[in-house]
Amino acid sequence: MLFNSLIFVVFFSVVLAAYWGLRSWETRKNLLLVASYVFYGAWNPPFALLLFSTTALDFFLGSRIAAAKGPRARKGWMIASVTSNLSMLGFFKYGNFALDNTKWCLAHLGVAYNPPHLGVLLPIGISFYTFHSLSYTLDVYRGVCAPTRSLRDFTLAVSFFPQLVAGPIVRAADFLPQLVSPPVLRPNQLSWGLCMMTLGMFEKVVLADTLLSGSADAVFGYKGTLQPLDAWTGVLAFSGQIFFDFAGYSTCAIGAALCLGFHLKDNFRFPYAAVGFSDFSRRWHISLSTFLRDFLYIPLGGNRRGPARAAINLVIVMFIGGLWHGAAWTFVVWGLIHGVFLMMERIFKAVTGDAEFSHTLATRLLLGLGTYAVVCFAWVFFRASTFPDAARILKSMLGAAGHGDAILGTRAIIQVGAVIAALLLAHWTMRDSDLESTVARLPRVLIATIWTLMLSAILLTQGSGNAFIYFQF
Amino acid sequence: MLATSLVTLALAAAWEIKCRSWGYAPTLNDTPDLWAMRRNAVKPDSVVIIGDSRAWFDLDLDEVERGLGSRPVQLAIPGSCAYPVLADLADDKSFHGTVICSVVPIMFFAPGGPPVQNSMDAINRRRAQTVAQKASNEIGMFLEEHIAFLKEDDLTLGELLNRLPIPNRAGALVGPPLPPYFETEDRERRARMAPQCAIPGPLQDRVKYGWLPLFTPPPLPTYIPRDVFLGGMAQAVEARFRDAASAVHRIRARGGKVVFVRFPVSGELRKLEDQATPRTGRWDRLLKDTGAPGIYFTDYPELASFTCPEWSHLSASDSVEFTHLLVPHLRQAIGSAL
Repeated sequence: MLFNSLIFVVFFSVVLAAYWGLRSWETRKNLLLVASYVFYGAWNPPFALLLFSTTALDFFLGSRIAAAKGPRARKGWMIASVTSNLSMLGFFKYGNFALDNTKWCLAHLGVAYNPPHLGVLLPIGISFYTFHSLSYTLDVYRGVCAPTRSLRDFTLAVSFFPQLVAGPIVRAADFLPQLVSPPVLRPNQLSWGLCMMTLGMFEKVVLADTLLSGSADAVFGYKGTLQPLDAWTGVLAFSGQIFFDFAGYSTCAIGAALCLGFHLKDNFRFPYAAVGFSDFSRRWHISLSTFLRDFLYIPLGGNRRGPARAAINLVIVMFIGGLWHGAAWTFVVWGLIHGVFLMMERIFKAVTGDAEFSHTLATRLLLGLGTYAVVCFAWVFFRASTFPDAARILKSMLGAAGHGDAILGTRAIIQVGAVIAALLLAHWTMRDSDLESTVARLPRVLIATIWTLMLSAILLTQGSGNAFIYFQF
Repeated sequence: MLATSLVTLALAAAWEIKCRSWGYAPTLNDTPDLWAMRRNAVKPDSVVIIGDSRAWFDLDLDEVERGLGSRPVQLAIPGSCAYPVLADLADDKSFHGTVICSVVPIMFFAPGGPPVQNSMDAINRRRAQTVAQKASNEIGMFLEEHIAFLKEDDLTLGELLNRLPIPNRAGALVGPPLPPYFETEDRERRARMAPQCAIPGPLQDRVKYGWLPLFTPPPLPTYIPRDVFLGGMAQAVEARFRDAASAVHRIRARGGKVVFVRFPVSGELRKLEDQATPRTGRWDRLLKDTGAPGIYFTDYPELASFTCPEWSHLSASDSVEFTHLLVPHLRQAIGSAL
């Protein structure tokens, strides 16, 4: 079930009314659990069983980790959880990718191998709920989270419908404590939750799908070389589309959870105002960045074993981060670009130290725009289907492709330029703040006016129920 | 929150009044979900209409039912190539009914692009349609039947922005805009031309002159050598003849029937189509290769006498009369299709 669908409006209204209408906390939790499985099963019912089996297995393994007597046994059960989760993810998401690459490698060794294509349907949101579930056993192993005795509560923590299919990646350690006692209905909280859902929907339906996706699709779908203006417009459009699409989903998820009395952490913090790549990683898909930091980078040694090892660790993390997004080498290259720039930034900081010039507004603005430009170059690999496609776009952006074609209308170019300029302005204005405190400073009339305009724009746009980009991950 | 809701509702009501004053009335959007719903209604022995917008506008379901004794299922898709749907029916081993297939050569033989994509979108939606999508479609249809501004081809923010009169750069390869609102559609996907479009006026002119750039072949791509591109196009047309013949043979082997129909076209558009895709090169060979019967509107004086007000489709009233006159030829063709 998509947030931007009519059935979700009905579904959420019914769940919200029933949830706050019920008195018993246990019954309300049961309602949320059933609603979450209906939300997921409405896409493909059999995969709800897969979701439950993953959850049940991690519930069992979490209890085994907690009950284990010695460190070896604890580690053994933890490895069992990691292996089972990653095996399932690997089979569904990376099976064909692995077979294709095996075939390619063997072909280069002169061995003809034609594996059958695995006719496997990718369960929606598998990358997200696998990490939701896995975070529990890893946190129990680390001692950060006490094992829950309630399978129902843990199942709800993994499957809670607002964040189930496209994040944020909510850790059981953050969610399970919220299931201990019932939240209280606060009108302001409900109102803010609905306002966030409107903002998220506006970002997805109006900005991403209507104002930006057309130019991005046209540029990335064109097989010839382009004029630099067209190539840049397409790439800038995609940079806005991917942000509004994903941040829109996260904002909706956080808003929906808030309406039900739950608090989910921010997943985006004005990332296009980042100064440097380490800043960007703290602002973009924060829940994944922190997951990889806590469960991969730090266990690998982090930066505790010297700069060289830290650099290698960074590259490993970004390699995995790229692969998490999709089973294709273009995603890996996208991740590696971020990894390489993170390394370069560390070297730069080590050389320059805390130089005074780096704190001036002009320098920060310049570095910020430079970061955004490199992020845009990296997005080319994220969006392009193949390396030749990516190379063609990059050459066109740099004007190195000779005479290219003009494929975008003037209106589309103006539209993308206006939206991206507004996006950058908004991010730079709010970069050291957060959305809630920024909104709190505005007069109520202005808030109501903006909210009305967003709702009206959603109604005017209607939307065709396009899936969110991150659903495929 | 209450003020926001009330003001939004007031703005929506004002927009609805404005749209109705422009002549818009509530009607269904022609979505892949609606198509999927009708495709699911196809029974093994159904009469099925496939093809482009001419079969969608010009055939009256009541008249076909009266003439052939079976309520037809309307599966024609505007701006589409019929072949993917023909192949879908051929692949459906239970299907042994009758297919009435509209042929606009420039679309039927399109190697890819929007005509094929439009059909594939509908077919793929049916194959992968979820329970949630079906439910959303039901709610959407209810709303569209009551609210005029939910006309997604014409009144969405994106479409309104498209209409801004901003000139493009010289040499920009920007596709021509699609014609504006000119039809209504019901739950059986019966389309009817809007009355304002059937009479001379600004809407009719906008639709009429919208066809010429749409039906004019686009410039050759710059990134493929001319010979290679034209060779590829010729191969694609040959492949379409072969694939269409294969699909027709599979349907006929199960006892089904296929009839091709060339619907009326008028004015400058007819000249353009005849010039770009002469009858002998496409239509005649399609009938020869598939062995299926065909009805070409110019072969029958009573069918050739109709004029399309906007050059491409018949008015709602003419479509009923046209279908009434077409049915005897369909009956005869179906009889000979065995």
